[in-house]
Amino acid sequence: MSSEVERRLEAMFAEAPEPDPGAGEEALHRALRSLQPVAPPRRGLRTAVLALAAVVVLLVIAAGALAAAGALHVSLGAKARPRPAAAQLTLPMGANGIAAIVDGRLQMVTKGGFRLQGLPVSAVALSPHALFVAAGIGNSLIAMAPDGRRAWSHPAGGKVVAIAWAPDGLRIAYVVDAGRHFVLHVIYGNGIHDNTIDRSVRAVRPSWRADSLAFAYVGGGGRAVVYDLGHTSHRVADAALPVTHVAFAPTGTKLAIATPSSVVVGGKTVIKAEVEALGWLRGRLAVAAKGFAPENIFFFAPNQASPRGYAAHGFVAAVTPKLVVVRNGPKVFAGRTTLLSVPRNASVGDVQVG
Amino acid sequence: MREPSDRDLVRRARRGDREAAAGLFRRYWRDAWRAAYAITGRRSLADDVAADGFERAFTALGRFDDRRPFGPWLHRIVANRALDLLRAERRLSDEELPDTPDLAPAHAAGDRSLLASVAELQLERRVVVVLRYGVGMTPKQIAEALDLPVGTVNSRLARALEQLRESLEVEHVE
Repeated sequence: MSSEVERRLEAMFAEAPEPDPGAGEEALHRALRSLQPVAPPRRGLRTAVLALAAVVVLLVIAAGALAAAGALHVSLGAKARPRPAAAQLTLPMGANGIAAIVDGRLQMVTKGGFRLQGLPVSAVALSPHALFVAAGIGNSLIAMAPDGRRAWSHPAGGKVVAIAWAPDGLRIAYVVDAGRHFVLHVIYGNGIHDNTIDRSVRAVRPSWRADSLAFAYVGGGGRAVVYDLGHTSHRVADAALPVTHVAFAPTGTKLAIATPSSVVVGGKTVIKAEVEALGWLRGRLAVAAKGFAPENIFFFAPNQASPRGYAAHGFVAAVTPKLVVVRNGPKVFAGRTTLLSVPRNASVGDVQVG
Repeated sequence: MREPSDRDLVRRARRGDREAAAGLFRRYWRDAWRAAYAITGRRSLADDVAADGFERAFTALGRFDDRRPFGPWLHRIVANRALDLLRAERRLSDEELPDTPDLAPAHAAGDRSLLASVAELQLERRVVVVLRYGVGMTPKQIAEALDLPVGTVNSRLARALEQLRESLEVEHVE
């Protein structure tokens, strides 16, 4: 028998608000794009499947006979699922937060004591001063203040593969895997006003100019492109192809562009090497290069005078404005501080220190 | 002219018929959105969740068993997507987020106290209440949709109703 509460619930839900017509149109458009036509099963295919099934059955019978005869050892049962990588995370001195993706899972800690570990994400970015974190989860871009007070999620229309937060914190540039191509978007830091900037780009993290009014990204043709938000204009930067990394200096307007065999700043090639990581450390361009042992990281003075080389003692995972992050076996460190301890074979990506 | 059945639309949509897919969308968008709204309590999230639910459903249409009804399957996707998002938010915040439904005018005029009580329900209980009374699914359909035993669905429903009854009684006394 229906109770009073049940009747009230039914009445309440019957009066629930209606969706906005605009949301429906957008959702319909997205849904239709995701439609994947399936060819009807053909008789030939069915026959082939049946034949394959018959072969499998025969093989199983044969294997069973061999196992019974002791000639074959058969083990049955579900294979143990790999456990998610356990990682120890340490905040370096003077930093507000550190985040990384270890085996596809977010590892993050902030100065305020906020710690987040294990969330499956596809990309991550800390906002300036690590006040917020943005992450790609499923087909959404999600942002959250570490105190958990503010949060938003935005349907990205695909897996988010790269995120870059503007230095002023007001905008986020992000790249989405749309199936056959990658799409570049910019959204406000509060999750509104999402704009598609370029429908064909490479899956490379964009880099914001210091004034937050422009950012660089890698276009679909492999060229470095600077998008100016003030003039809504695209300018192709001069460099060889294909571009693998872009990095604006933390002050001024200098843009470093890496290709598979060189790094270009202001149209001039500053080093010819295969680039492992690229960034600006304390105002100087830092390039981690492969094949320059024992030195494999080079610092360039602002006037691009001869670089000074150092040994990084491992694979350079990231160059952040204050640290060079190096991976050596199970340890990810900066200077003498071990930032992360991970299983030896774990993948580590998107290392960010804010 | 007779309306095409869900099954017809699903079969045509599977072959890439966009009109049929759009027909399915129009038939279920409102219900899916309202279910998403009732679970999340936020319009913006409901937009995301319902849209994402359709996207996933259409992507997986080739694997859908068309002998089964389309509606409950879609609602299962939408409900699970809503749960995933809310749980992700919780994990991101490392604590239970306060639910702050943006009460629409229709609700402001209606059973606002009941809506507030529903919003206070535990996420797992709220979902079964929404699917039962908002979408009209039977406990068996909910159990299939959420991959739970029917007994669990019934007990969650019973506990949710008990909690709602208590909170409304307290309010009445106050």
